[in-house]
Amino acid sequence: MRPKLFVLLMAVVFVASLSVTYEVKAAEPIKLGAILPLADITGDQAAKAMKVAVDEINKSGGLLGRKVELIVVDDEMKPEKGAAAVEKLVTVDKVDVLVGGMSSGVHLGQIPIMKKYEKVTVWIGAASSRCEQAVGADATWYFHLHPWDYQQGASYLEGWTAINKKSPQVKIDKWFNAYEEGAFGTAGFKAGQALYKDWLTPGGKPHLEGESFKSAALGGGDYRTVLRHAQETKPDIFLWTGYDADALPIMEQAKEIGFAPPIFIGSPPGWPATFGKSPLAEAVTLYGMWAPSIKEVSKVSKHFWDAYIKEVKQEPATYFAPLGYTNIYFVADGIKKAKTLDKPALIKALQETKYVSPIGETLTIKPSTIIKNQGFTKQKILQWQKGQQQVIWPFEFSTSQLSYPFPSWQKR
Amino acid sequence: MNVFSKLKQSNYQIAIVSVFLAIILASWKPHVLIEGIQRACLYAVIALPMALILGIVGIINLAHGEYMMLGAYFAYFLNVYTGMDPLLAVFPALLAFFLIGIVSYKAIIKYVLDAPELNQLLLTFGLAMVIEQLANLVWTSRPIKLPLKYVSSSATIGSFTFGTYEFIYVGGAMIVLIGLQLFLKRTNTGQAALAVGQNPRGAKLVGIHVDRTYLFIFSLSIALVGAIGAVFMTRHSIFPLVGAPFTMKSFCLIAMAGIGNLMGILWCSLILGLAENFVLSFRGYAGWADILFFALIVLVIMVRSHQRQVK
Amino acid sequence: MRISRYFLYIAILIILLTLPFYTGVYFLNVMDIILIYIALALSWDMLLRSGQISFGVAGLFGVGGYAAVLLNLNTGMNPLISIVMGGLAAGILAWLVGMAVLQLRGMYFAIVTLALAEIFRVIIRNLPDLTGGPEGTVLPSAIFAGNSTKTYWLAIAVAVVSVIASELFRRTRIHFALTSIRNDEIVAKSSGIDVFKYLVFIFVITSAIQGMTGGAYAHIYGFVSPEGSFSVDFTLLPIAMALLGGMHSTWGPVVGAVVLGVVSEFLKLQIPYGHLLVYGLIIVITILFFPQGILGTVGQRLKNRQRLRGSP
Repeated sequence: MRPKLFVLLMAVVFVASLSVTYEVKAAEPIKLGAILPLADITGDQAAKAMKVAVDEINKSGGLLGRKVELIVVDDEMKPEKGAAAVEKLVTVDKVDVLVGGMSSGVHLGQIPIMKKYEKVTVWIGAASSRCEQAVGADATWYFHLHPWDYQQGASYLEGWTAINKKSPQVKIDKWFNAYEEGAFGTAGFKAGQALYKDWLTPGGKPHLEGESFKSAALGGGDYRTVLRHAQETKPDIFLWTGYDADALPIMEQAKEIGFAPPIFIGSPPGWPATFGKSPLAEAVTLYGMWAPSIKEVSKVSKHFWDAYIKEVKQEPATYFAPLGYTNIYFVADGIKKAKTLDKPALIKALQETKYVSPIGETLTIKPSTIIKNQGFTKQKILQWQKGQQQVIWPFEFSTSQLSYPFPSWQKR
Repeated sequence: MNVFSKLKQSNYQIAIVSVFLAIILASWKPHVLIEGIQRACLYAVIALPMALILGIVGIINLAHGEYMMLGAYFAYFLNVYTGMDPLLAVFPALLAFFLIGIVSYKAIIKYVLDAPELNQLLLTFGLAMVIEQLANLVWTSRPIKLPLKYVSSSATIGSFTFGTYEFIYVGGAMIVLIGLQLFLKRTNTGQAALAVGQNPRGAKLVGIHVDRTYLFIFSLSIALVGAIGAVFMTRHSIFPLVGAPFTMKSFCLIAMAGIGNLMGILWCSLILGLAENFVLSFRGYAGWADILFFALIVLVIMVRSHQRQVK
Repeated sequence: MRISRYFLYIAILIILLTLPFYTGVYFLNVMDIILIYIALALSWDMLLRSGQISFGVAGLFGVGGYAAVLLNLNTGMNPLISIVMGGLAAGILAWLVGMAVLQLRGMYFAIVTLALAEIFRVIIRNLPDLTGGPEGTVLPSAIFAGNSTKTYWLAIAVAVVSVIASELFRRTRIHFALTSIRNDEIVAKSSGIDVFKYLVFIFVITSAIQGMTGGAYAHIYGFVSPEGSFSVDFTLLPIAMALLGGMHSTWGPVVGAVVLGVVSEFLKLQIPYGHLLVYGLIIVITILFFPQGILGTVGQRLKNRQRLRGSP
C-alpha cells in the first residue's frame, strides 16, 4: 500500500469515526450503557450475563412496551478510557441508565464525569471506599450494588462471630493477613485494621498482624517469606488477599514450609479453573459473594446458571457473572415499578425495589456510610470441600458445615 | 602467581568477600540465602536466552516473556491431552519452539535486522502485544495452574526446613549457562555465532553464513525460553500477561551484566535475588524490596560504565 | 513559503481551539487523551534526537502528577499553577538524576531510566501519609469542575507547549548540537560542543514537559495512584507513537499519536473483543512496511519523486 494512500486512508478512518460517533439512534428502545473491562474475565462474563438478562427481558415483551438495548463499552482497565466511555454513552448513545463497573481505580476517573451528567447509575464494581468518598452524599442518582471494602470486612466479622458462637472450638482471636502490595490488597488490610479495633471476640480483642507481598499477577509469586512470618506468629486464622494467580502457588508454598494454620482463608476476586482439583485446596476457606453451589439452594440462581450456559456455552466462573445479571434485572424491575424513565420517579422506584438475586440473597437499597443507595452489603464465608465451593455462612444459605481445623499437609 | 598476588586481583577479592557474606547469611538468615539463590536462578535462566539473541543477533526481543508464556501453555495442554508431566514436556517444547522460532524469524524478525535499533524494539513490542492478545482471546485471562505434588517438596536438616523444588531453577540455570558457554566456545557453529556477533561483515567475509547463524541462534533462544516456560508453569499460575514482567527483568539483568556477558547475568541475578529476599526478611520492609532491586540495577550499571570509561 | 506555513499552523490551531463549539463532549474527551500522548511522544522524541532513549517517561509523568495534586491539596495552590509546578518538580528531579546518569549511553541509559521510574513509583507508594499510599489520592473535584471545554483547552495548551519546544529545538543551534551528538559524540566534542551540558539540558526540559503533562492529566481526571499514574503505558505508547509517526521530527510524533489514538478508540467501538490485537498488528505491519514511520516514508517518497522529476 503506498504510504500516501495509507495516510489518506487513516484520515478517512478518522473522519468516518467522527460520523459514526455522531449517529444519533432512534429513541425507541430503552438504552442501558455498560462499562466493563472486556479483556478481563470479570468484565467479559459480566457483559455476557448482562446480555443474557437483556435477551430474556426482550423475549418476554421488553420494558414499558419498548425493547431494551444494551451498549457495552470496554474501559480497558484505564481511568481515562473509562471516563471517555461515560462521555460516549451519555452524550453520543444517549443512554437512559449507566450500569457495569469493576475496577475501583478506573471508577475514580469516571466519578467526576458521572457527576457532571447525574444519569441514573447502577454500579456493580468498585469496592474501595475512596470511591464512596469521591461520590459524596448528595448523589441520589448513584446506586452502588457491590459491597464496600469496610462492609465486606464487617460481614466477615459478623460471620466469624456467628461461626464461633455455633462452634466455640473455632478460635478467632489471632489473625495474620498477607495482602498484595497494590491498592486492592492494601485497602482490604486497612479496612480490616479499622474494623478489628472495635471487634469483641471470646478472647477479648482480636490480634491482627499483616504483611504485604507482590502478587503473581504483577510479576511476584514467591510467598515463602511472608508465609514464614505468618507461621512465626502462630495465628488462629491466616488470610491472604491477592489475585487468582496467587491461589494455588500460595498453597504449594505453604505446604513447602509446613504452614497449616487452623483456618486458611483466601480472598481473591476469583479462583483459577482447576483449583478445586488439587488436594491442597481441601478446607481452604474463602470469602466470596457467590459460589456455583448456590444454585442448589436458590431457584433464581439455578435459572441464571442454566440460562448462562445455554447462551454462552461456558460455565460462569466469577461472581461478576450473576452480578451482571442482577445489575440488569434490578434496573428493569425499577423501571417497571416506576412505569417511567423520568429520573426522580425512577430513583424512588429503584430505592424501593427488592430483587431476589442469583447471587443468593435479596437485593435491597439502604444507605451506607456516605451514599444513600447501597445494595449488597454482605459477603459470604465459603469453604472448598471435595473440589466444590460450599457456603458456610450466612447459615440460611449454607450448603455445608465448616471443616475445622485445616488438615495438615501430610493427611492429603 | 602466589597467594598474595592472587589476593590483589579484584576478582578474587570479590570472590572472597562473597563467600564471607554467604557464610554470614547462612548462619543469620539461611532462608534468604537459599531462596535468594533459587529465585536468582529463575531470573537468570529466563534472561540467558534473551542475552543470547542480543549478543549475537543484536536484537532486543521484547516478546521474550510472551514466548515463555506460550511454552507454559504448551506444556499445560500437553499435560491435559496426553498426561505428560511438564518437566518431561521440556523436550517436546524445545523442538516445538525451535520450529516456532524459525517461523518467527523468517516471517518477521529477518526484515528488521538492518533497521535501526528502535524499529526492532517497536516491532518486538508489537509482536508481544499480538501474542498476548491472541492468548487472551483464546484462553481468556483466567489463570491456570496444574496441581503437582512434587512442587512443594522440602528437606529438613536438624530443625531447619527449606524448600527443595526451586533448586530446579538452579539446575536449569547451570545447564543453560554451561551449555551455552560450551556451545559458543567449543563447537564450530557456536564459534561462528560468536564471530558473527562480534563482526557480522567480517564473519561474512570469511565465509560464515550470517543469515543462517542468526536463524539458528534466534530459534535456539526461542526454543530455550519455550522449554523454560514448561518448567515455569509447574510452580507459577499462567495467564496471558504472565511473561511481561520477566521480559523487563531480563532486559534489566542484561544491561546490568553487559552485552555478551553470560556469566555476568548469573552474578547479577544472584545480587538481585539475594538483596530482594534480604529486604523481605525484615517484617515491615516488604515494600522496599523493589526499591533496593532497582537501585542495585542502577548502581551496577553506573559502576560498570565508570569502569569501562576508566579503562 | 515560510509565511504560508505559519498560516497553516495558525489555521490548524484555530480549528482545534474552536472544536468544542461544534463537536460533542465525547470527541473532546478522546482528543484530551490524544493531546496528552502528543506531549509525551514529542518530549520523548526530543531526547531521542540526542541519541538517548528514555524508558522513564512514566516516572516523570507520575512525579509531575503527584507534585501537582499534592501541592494543590496541601497548600491550596491554584490547579493551573500546580501543573506548572509539577513540571518544575519533574525538571528538578531530572536535573539531579541526570547529573549522575547521563554519562550512560544507549541501552544502559534506557534501562536506568526504567529503573528510576520504578524507584519513583515505589517510593511514592511507600509514603502513605504523604501520598495516600497504594490507593492514591483523590482530588475533591477535577479541574474546572470537569468542564469538558476547559479541560480540552488545558490539554491543547500542554500539547502546544511541547510542539513549540520541539520546533525550538529544531530551528535553533540546539538542533545542530543534538544531531551531531547523535551522529558521533567524539566529533561533536572535538568541535567544541559540551555534550554533557546539552544532554542534561534536554533531559531536564523534556522531563519538565512530561511532568507538566502528568500534572494536567492528574487534574483532568481528578486523582493519582502509583499503579495508574506510573503505568508503563505512558512510556511504551508514546514511544510507539513517535516511531510510527516518524522520529526526529515534530509532526511525526503528532501524526503517530493521532493515528494510534484514533485507531485505538475507533477500533474499540467496532471490535469490542480483540481491538488490542488489531492495534498490535497495526504496529507490526507499519514497522515492517514503513520503517521510517508514516511521515518519514511519505517524506522519502516525496523526495524521490522530486528527484526523478528533476524539479528544484
